Amino acid sequence: MGGDLARVDLRMRRRSTVAYAVGLALYTLVVVVLYPAFKDATSLDETINQSPGLAALFGVSGSITSPDGWMNANLYANFLPLIVLMLTIGYGAAALAGEEEAGRIDLVLALPLSRRAILLQKAAVLLVLDVVVVVPTVLAVFAGRAFEIDLAAGPVLTCTLGVVLLGAAFGVLALAIGGGTGQRGGAIGITAALAAAAYLLSSLAPQVPALKSWRPLSPFYWSVGNGQLSAGLGWDGLAVLVALCAAALVAAVIVFDRHDVRA
Amino acid sequence: MAAVVQTRALTKRYGRARGVEDLDLEVAPGTIFGFLGPNGAGKSTTIRTLLDFQRPTSGEARVFGLDSRRDSVAIHRRVGYLPGELTLYDRLTGREHVRLLAGPRRAASPAVVDALVERFGVELDRPVRDLSKGNRQKVGLVLAFMHEPELLVLDEPTSGLDPLMQDEFLRLLRETAAEGRTVLLSSHSLDEVQRVADRVSLIRDGRLVVTATIAELQAQVPRSVALSFESPVAPGEFAGLPGVTDVVADGDRALTLSVTGPVDPVVKAAARHTTVEITAQPADLETLFLRYYRGPDGGGGDGR
Repeated sequence: MGGDLARVDLRMRRRSTVAYAVGLALYTLVVVVLYPAFKDATSLDETINQSPGLAALFGVSGSITSPDGWMNANLYANFLPLIVLMLTIGYGAAALAGEEEAGRIDLVLALPLSRRAILLQKAAVLLVLDVVVVVPTVLAVFAGRAFEIDLAAGPVLTCTLGVVLLGAAFGVLALAIGGGTGQRGGAIGITAALAAAAYLLSSLAPQVPALKSWRPLSPFYWSVGNGQLSAGLGWDGLAVLVALCAAALVAAVIVFDRHDVRA
Repeated sequence: MAAVVQTRALTKRYGRARGVEDLDLEVAPGTIFGFLGPNGAGKSTTIRTLLDFQRPTSGEARVFGLDSRRDSVAIHRRVGYLPGELTLYDRLTGREHVRLLAGPRRAASPAVVDALVERFGVELDRPVRDLSKGNRQKVGLVLAFMHEPELLVLDEPTSGLDPLMQDEFLRLLRETAAEGRTVLLSSHSLDEVQRVADRVSLIRDGRLVVTATIAELQAQVPRSVALSFESPVAPGEFAGLPGVTDVVADGDRALTLSVTGPVDPVVKAAARHTTVEITAQPADLETLFLRYYRGPDGGGGDGR
């Protein structure tokens, strides 16, 4: 199969991925440990009710003193997707375009592997990194049960899956742009800009009447922007996110296969 | 015998920038083919197209009779490649490169790896970032040769190697060809190519200028032949001989001739006199190549 290629990439990123995962989990632990101190702070909810626009900027709506509101406002609506996207977009752009810019891709292209096989291995690595980085965080969320964060396991797991799929969709998009152009910076820039626009659309739309009907265009809406931490991901969200990943993957296969890798 | 590498009217353009134009190459099995040209002439572009890193704008390239584009995986299985600008994974050792890049589909032969390590003093157990340029290049050589490929595509392989290692490497190439394997050796060094190549193609501005054996090329270069005689000789006696392009008299008993091709007519003519001394300089390919490099047209740049 030549899965060795994936092993090289995983090996090269082992340290940084562990650092990301541990850092994210530590942050999550701090968030859950602080919850008991804030759960009765009704003034926080009042502040949000008074300036819903500001709260929306951070992806926050509704009460933040409830367990799900607290975890949503401090983790799932903003920080978790941000970190996951940094990782997946960063890897997606580096995996082909970064290797091409470094001149290292020649050794890989000379292997008896088709372009498609190379790309699928890179996508597999992306998914592995994407999953690995959230696992300790989910454990930290469940550790929150000791601190009155008594969230149902189902919605936590499926909402986390939504974040993983969100990360995969944008990561594979970066892989496609990088694989088609050979430019790492461009791949990061374009994908990050799209992700930022999608985030703003999903979180601000409830406050801006003109944007409201456009909200479903944002992948964030389908993963974390619509109460998924309380209600679960839902089949429609799952379908939309998987379809986005698949579309990005097909595009990546096509453009990388056509790309001229220059010296 | 079918050619191992064959291109027909191969053309690669990058927008308006130059690539290669209308290239016809043929490399016979079991030979060392020298691909010569100044930096930027299109050597790497050609190689990268053969290996399907890039796609031809027009024309076609075949390796082992297979289409470079459609059958690239099958071709790669039988090819060893050393990139022109080798970049390795800094944090991995040479041995890890061998293991990871060999892969189950193209197993490295441990005996071959060990022999190369021994022969070139390759440092396989230190991270690549701790190695000098020459020692990294040696790791690249191991990666190209380790699976005993039928065709070796080597882009400037001796860059960074010290002269002793260069010699050893050229010896390895001769052995490789003697085993019936084929070598496509790209280089800007005439000296290197001259020492091992059976045939040579010279590329300039993306176009092939000449393809010939080293002996054929040498036959094209005028050599200087100096003669001295016991008694006076008329320069006119030599001026009209086949192959003689220039006659310079040094007094009335010594002549210096420029001769292209066989010296036989000169020797026969000299034999009519009592000849004291004949010295001939070996043909200087360098001069010929510099002439090709500069181009016959004195700079009419149509190679876009």
